[in-house]
Amino acid sequence: MTLRRRFLAMGTTIELLVDAERADRPLAAAEGEFHRLERVLTRFRDDSELSRLNHDGAIDAGPDLVRVIALALDARDRTDGRFDPTVHDALLAAGYDRTFAELTDGDLGEPRPGGGGVHLDGSRIVLDEGVRVDLGGIGKGYAAERAAEILAVAGPALVNAGGDIAVRGGAWPIGVEDVTLELSSGGLATSGRDRRRWSRGGREQHHLIDPRTGAPARTELLRVTVVADDAVEAEVQAKNVFLGGRPEGCAYVLAVSA
Amino acid sequence: MTRHVAGRLYALSLALVVFFLTWAVVAARPWSSSATPRDPRLDALARREVKLRRRAVAVHAVVTRRWAAYHRALAARRAEIAAVRALPAPAPVAPSAAVRVVTLPPLTITRTS
Repeated sequence: MTLRRRFLAMGTTIELLVDAERADRPLAAAEGEFHRLERVLTRFRDDSELSRLNHDGAIDAGPDLVRVIALALDARDRTDGRFDPTVHDALLAAGYDRTFAELTDGDLGEPRPGGGGVHLDGSRIVLDEGVRVDLGGIGKGYAAERAAEILAVAGPALVNAGGDIAVRGGAWPIGVEDVTLELSSGGLATSGRDRRRWSRGGREQHHLIDPRTGAPARTELLRVTVVADDAVEAEVQAKNVFLGGRPEGCAYVLAVSA
Repeated sequence: MTRHVAGRLYALSLALVVFFLTWAVVAARPWSSSATPRDPRLDALARREVKLRRRAVAVHAVVTRRWAAYHRALAARRAEIAAVRALPAPAPVAPSAAVRVVTLPPLTITRTS
């Protein structure tokens, strides 16, 4: 029997599926894990650990923030900067300065290219002057993986964090465009400019910043879906491919043009 | 009469000389050893110093031996690391994700996150 739970966290709808007779406690624990990680990784709460880092420029961080920053910096190296956690100010300049549901029209800021310095030394994270970090996509992938780990105690499980999907066992049919993929392990993510769009300065904006220009990416692609080892890697590769990179270590890639 | 007095004076002088000579000899205590006895604490300290010097030499020998062993191990480890670095990069690991296209109705969907 497939048990299902839906809730809102990290600015999107989270869906937990687990194949078990009873899974009240693992479902509650997985949901709690999402809310806990949101308090660490979101840039939309002033009291989150990430907001403290962006405000102070240096903190002794907890293990989750350290891990996600390390994953993001590693991804930046591997994708030649197509995936970059330092596009925070570029997102703000494009107008994504509050949760998506609260966005309004306004003036367009100057593009802010990525590539800012982020230094990790044990649990110490130090940002270069003027650098701020956004962990939106990779944070959801990380949270999906953590929640899937918890749910897997009850049975084969799937966690869908607004499109970032982590799977532990079972065989889960997942709708991607007009095909259905059956995933039994690994992760899946979709990145595109078909959602999370808004208008600024009379021009349409979207949330996928090209770190090289510091502005929303201009590409023929509308959407990219990737299946990889886990949800974090799928998220990284989906952005990498969307911005013209070559897919690395992907089990499946589906790119849709506009 | 005069010779009688002079004899007595002579005997008295001789007795005084003999007395003082005897006194000087007794005061010199010729039967005791001429060297001053050593303080036993100094002897103990001297013995301890010798013992510590011997121990310092032994410890130095052990440290020298271990330092040499450490340097040999370090050189061997550095050689191992250099050998590994000289190897060609391993082939990329195949993704562990298991996926296939099916015709089943989806249980969930993915969309732009």
